Amino acid sequence: MRSQSRFYPNKIPYTISVKTKGVTNAFKGINGRGVFEDYRGIEVYSVYSLIEVGKLKMVILSEIDVDEVTIPLQELKQRLAGLTLAIFLLAVMLSLFLTRIITNPIKNMQKSLRIMAEGDYNQTNKFIKNSKEIKEMFDALANLKASLQGAVKFSDDIGKMNLHSDFKPKSSNDLLGISLLAMRDKLIEFRNNEENTRIVSKRMLVNGMENERRRLSRELHDGIGPYLTSLKHYIENRVKNEDKKSEMKKIVDDTISEIRLMSNALMPASIDDFGIGVTLTNFIESLKKSTNVTIEYEDLTQQENSNITNHQAINLFRISQELINNSLKHADAKNIRITLSEFDEFISLFYFDDGIGFDINTVKLGLGIINIKERVEICNGTITINSMPGNTSFEIELPIEL
Amino acid sequence: MNEIKLIIADDHELFRNGLAELLRKHDEIKIVKSVADGLEFMELINTQFEADIVLLDITMPNMDGFQVLKELKNLNSTIKPIVISMHNDGNYIAKCAKMGAYGYLLKNTDEAELILAIRSVNKGKKYFSAEISEKMINFMSTQSISENVLSNKENEVLGLIAKGLTTKEIAEKLFVSSRTIETHRANILKKLEVKNTAELIKKAAKMNLI
Repeated sequence: MRSQSRFYPNKIPYTISVKTKGVTNAFKGINGRGVFEDYRGIEVYSVYSLIEVGKLKMVILSEIDVDEVTIPLQELKQRLAGLTLAIFLLAVMLSLFLTRIITNPIKNMQKSLRIMAEGDYNQTNKFIKNSKEIKEMFDALANLKASLQGAVKFSDDIGKMNLHSDFKPKSSNDLLGISLLAMRDKLIEFRNNEENTRIVSKRMLVNGMENERRRLSRELHDGIGPYLTSLKHYIENRVKNEDKKSEMKKIVDDTISEIRLMSNALMPASIDDFGIGVTLTNFIESLKKSTNVTIEYEDLTQQENSNITNHQAINLFRISQELINNSLKHADAKNIRITLSEFDEFISLFYFDDGIGFDINTVKLGLGIINIKERVEICNGTITINSMPGNTSFEIELPIEL
Repeated sequence: MNEIKLIIADDHELFRNGLAELLRKHDEIKIVKSVADGLEFMELINTQFEADIVLLDITMPNMDGFQVLKELKNLNSTIKPIVISMHNDGNYIAKCAKMGAYGYLLKNTDEAELILAIRSVNKGKKYFSAEISEKMINFMSTQSISENVLSNKENEVLGLIAKGLTTKEIAEKLFVSSRTIETHRANILKKLEVKNTAELIKKAAKMNLI
């Protein structure tokens, strides 16, 4: 080597032998370039050329380390790689974020719909609404949900036969709502019919029973009674012994009295011949003989042209019988006041006693309250019961049915 | 001796026969006819059949005793009806008395009383035994029929309204429902042709009702 090596600044150039591919080629007269190891054994880019100055052959070498040449390239490569990685990461994160924004509400909706499909309309998932379309979609879903909830609540009410529940279909296209309403109306109709049938059959039952009582009462009074009076005539006519005669007559009279009582208890003839007002007067008159309780009865019915039907009269009589019976048996009352008033529109039976009273809710069935209520019901009437010690009252109202 | 001509109207043959046998012992009483219902009796009467007294049952088929009493009254008949019935309630007795019956007997009346009744009625007197009279009077005393504009109850309500009592107070006092008092009040206003309580009091005072 004839020039100073920058790699070996302390070495004398002549001591360094450069026997590389380039030098060899150049001395052979081939100028060129190539990549090969230099004198240090390191890969270099090399241009080589022969210089002849007279007989002196020298080779000029211009070399640069391969490494040195590729350093910027390497750096560029690394930077590019880094950049690519960064962009890739960013893209991934961005897409993840975007996916969340778009898919979450849809997933949410899917979940909602799935729950609704299972029939539960009461879930309270909050919806994330972040675009107009999605918002509208959710509003529509919320409406659907509200409408279904309404329908569900309504059908639940119908199911419980709570038929006065308020419900309006969302629109004329709300087929579910409209069919539910139709169903409710049908059910109301059915219930009314059933109620009517129930009352009619109860009325028939009671009427049948009362007719039977009437028949028995008349049978006793008008059938057996005359036989007994005939027997008495027979005694008057045929029995000569005066003692025996009066004794026998007394037995017959007592029997007739007993028959009268039985007949009246079954059904007083007065109820058909005179109406309820007078019948109650008689009934209470007859009771006064057998009790110390003061019973005051006021008959304010129409005497001549009463509009109280025989059916109402019988039921009012039975109700009064039951009430008086209760007062005498259970109430320990001193006073009973009864007023029967007849007006153009209604009949009012007011019953009061100053007995011990009873708890309306827990009253024993034996007191016949149920019986009384049933009789009021089959007469299409109303009943109000108030009870406290010393003041028990029943207000019964029946409509005048013309 | 004056013969008493008697008709028996009763739907029980056995009873008619027994009664006839009983009365046969008494010479002055003559049973001239025995009929089974009111219709048969009225047909007989319409043939100008002569009789003094009819022993009349109430409960009979076709035409009952009440109807017969009414017809006899309409015809101004001289036949005096004595009702003879199983019913011993005051209302039956009162109704018969009102409709022109001369007497009221229970079917199981003793022979002596039966004869007494027939004789009394034949003399033109009415015969109601003490027991029967008591029943009738007891019944009539419970009837409160007012000849005035207002019924007795309405008068009572009016008095309490005038005293300034509320509907509820009046209801409690008279042992009736509030609605009954309201209805009475409305009826009083209607009957006296007034519109409100102030007018009512004024008019009632003028009419001396309170």
